[in-house]
Amino acid sequence: MNMKDKLKTESEITWCPGCPNHLILESVKQTIANLVDAKKFKQEDFAITTDIGCHAKIFDYLNLSGIYCLHGRAIPTAIGMKIGNPNLKVITFAGDGAVYSEGISHFIHAFKYNADMTLILHDNQSFSLTTGQPTPTSQQGYQSKASPLGTFDKPMNPIKLALAANATFIARTNARDIKHMVEIFTKAIAHKGFSFIEVIQDCLIFNLEANGKDARMYKVKDNTDKKIAEKLASEFDYNSKEGRIPIGVIYQTNEPTLEEKWPQLKKLLDKKSTWKNK
Amino acid sequence: MRLNILIGGVAGQGINKVSEIVSNILADYGYFTFNYRDYQSLIRGGHNFNVLSISDTQIESHETVMDIIVALDERTIKTHNQALAKNGILITGEEFKNEGRNLNVALAGTLLKILGIPLEKLNEEIKSQFKESEQALISAKKGYDSKEDEFSLKQLDNKITILSGSEAIAVGARNSNLDLYIAYPMTPATNAMHALAKDQVENNLMVFQAENEIAAANMALGASFTGARVMTGTSGGGFDLMSEALSFQGTSEIPLTVYLASRPGPGTGVPTYTAQADLDVALRAGHGEFSRVVIAPGNPTETIEKTSEALYLAEKFKTLSIILGDKHLAESEFSTTETVPKALKLEILRKLPGEAIVKASSYEIDKFGNSTESYTLTEKNVNSRIEKYEKTKAFIEKNYEMIKLHGKKDSKNLIVGWGSTSGAIKDAIKDLDAKFLQVIYMKPLSSKIKKELEKANNIILVEENVTGQLGRLIREKTGIKIPNRILKYNGRPFHSDELNKYLKEIV
Repeated sequence: MNMKDKLKTESEITWCPGCPNHLILESVKQTIANLVDAKKFKQEDFAITTDIGCHAKIFDYLNLSGIYCLHGRAIPTAIGMKIGNPNLKVITFAGDGAVYSEGISHFIHAFKYNADMTLILHDNQSFSLTTGQPTPTSQQGYQSKASPLGTFDKPMNPIKLALAANATFIARTNARDIKHMVEIFTKAIAHKGFSFIEVIQDCLIFNLEANGKDARMYKVKDNTDKKIAEKLASEFDYNSKEGRIPIGVIYQTNEPTLEEKWPQLKKLLDKKSTWKNK
Repeated sequence: MRLNILIGGVAGQGINKVSEIVSNILADYGYFTFNYRDYQSLIRGGHNFNVLSISDTQIESHETVMDIIVALDERTIKTHNQALAKNGILITGEEFKNEGRNLNVALAGTLLKILGIPLEKLNEEIKSQFKESEQALISAKKGYDSKEDEFSLKQLDNKITILSGSEAIAVGARNSNLDLYIAYPMTPATNAMHALAKDQVENNLMVFQAENEIAAANMALGASFTGARVMTGTSGGGFDLMSEALSFQGTSEIPLTVYLASRPGPGTGVPTYTAQADLDVALRAGHGEFSRVVIAPGNPTETIEKTSEALYLAEKFKTLSIILGDKHLAESEFSTTETVPKALKLEILRKLPGEAIVKASSYEIDKFGNSTESYTLTEKNVNSRIEKYEKTKAFIEKNYEMIKLHGKKDSKNLIVGWGSTSGAIKDAIKDLDAKFLQVIYMKPLSSKIKKELEKANNIILVEENVTGQLGRLIREKTGIKIPNRILKYNGRPFHSDELNKYLKEIV
């Protein structure tokens, strides 16, 4: 059996037909298969956490260790995993509704802790599994059953927020571009520290107005300059119908990781050991 | 023999240092001490006091009448003068005001002289506590020489150790090889966090302060999932925030131990005082129906033992263990000659990520650990959680002390109580025809309780809450309503003499 097949499960896939989540799943499988085939990691070295929402169904479709968490809590649960075993390769899947509403405090603090893990954030600017209510990144005026008067507020810009919170890795990718996703996921997993990837994706059922941003996207070179990063972060405001949307590694820098800062965890990391064997 | 000493002053004056020095020396001299700390939610100023109770036999409470009052400020005299016994002694800080920051050692000196303890004992204690002790020794001698020996305490043989409930949580956790304590600060749980944080590297564990209690509890679950031995701790408000994670523990069955140190609510309440009003929330917090264990130790010795049991049960039965304490247990300093039996070795035997593919979920799951909405699997999972509780209960009934009986074992007068109130009850019934049933396991509740209640003619419930929460729990489980209730809910714990007076009216 090839590695990608080993990552399959028996669960019935219940995303809508044509949903970009299918492509995200494919890209994640490809990325992990590449890393395992290259003998960088074993399948068992990975542990995932997922939030609650459409994105989170990926938990059932990946044969990897992990926790299907509570809504908004995929990040702290993942950080707990890293404290519990710093040798695990942890990947968190979460949505714009979960993280930017219920879990926003965890998002900000995650950059401060800088645990060596990856956050893949599926942003479709909609709470889709609960039938399309606005999220903090929904565009102004978005009307839903919960917001028939239209969303009054301007959306949050999570990339700018991540920069302000001293993120060490920020990237953006397109859910319709498997090649680009694999490239970005691979770079994010290789990054030493907390890597945050925003995956821009359409929802085929709710907030259709926000869809179809592909033509506006353009690839940027891997960037390590904070000033340039700030400029790139401002280019897309999650609201305007026009203007370019940069994708790629928007910012990367090096800071000590959570596992390096705590002597107790550093010891486990250096010895490739766990608390059980302390 | 029993003496009560009140030491009062403004926050930051060092009243805790006075009682600490005197307690340590008295313990070394073979005397039992109990130190109650009454302090306000402020850092400098206000009015704080300690009541240090001393006895030649085991005590676990303080009393209302003071033999000695040490007043570091005028307000202490005004507030507590009425509590001074007829021939009581008042010591003021006034005469030592030139001692500056050594005022507290000078006052410790006067106290020890009055008690009749040799000066050398004080000198030894000061040398062990202060790096530069020269000036402190001079102040101590000044204090010592200013008074006469009034009580002439003789050295006793007892081997005494002093411990607070918070320190006991840390000792119990370390005895069980705890790896991680993940928490957010909240009085009165924070001192357990401090006790574990101190020397954490040497003790081979880690104390992590999360961004809030929600994060702390979810991080604890994440870490526990990977095989670390984990605990979190908080007080009522933080426990409310953890509720969703407790429920998550119910479905995911990731072992979790929570230390709940309660204080008077609702809301922010009276944050630095005490109450036993969170039994209900400990028993029920979290939506859905799932297994849990709630243990309420009454003193530090029990806290050490029960903390280890909580951690053991959480891992063995993949359940939620709650250690329920309160401010009075957490922050009072108890003395004892008892030793704690060795804890059962906490071993992690389950499959772990890193070694195998392991899944845990907040959804109902199939055999692979993936989500299911099947009605057969849903029902199966619900049944398995209930069966797990029955197994946990049977194990506890067989292996652990769930209740304790104190006082006259054949008495028909039965006092029922729990947690930190136990100390005052034990001391209050010393001269009464009464038996005290101390409930330690609140969930599961011991089947022996019903038999004890049936044997008694006169049952009295003593609790520090307004609705009699243990009384309601016992009624739910046994059908027996306890008619007499002594309830206190002003944020202050029972004094044993106060309780003795109430009980005498009924017994």
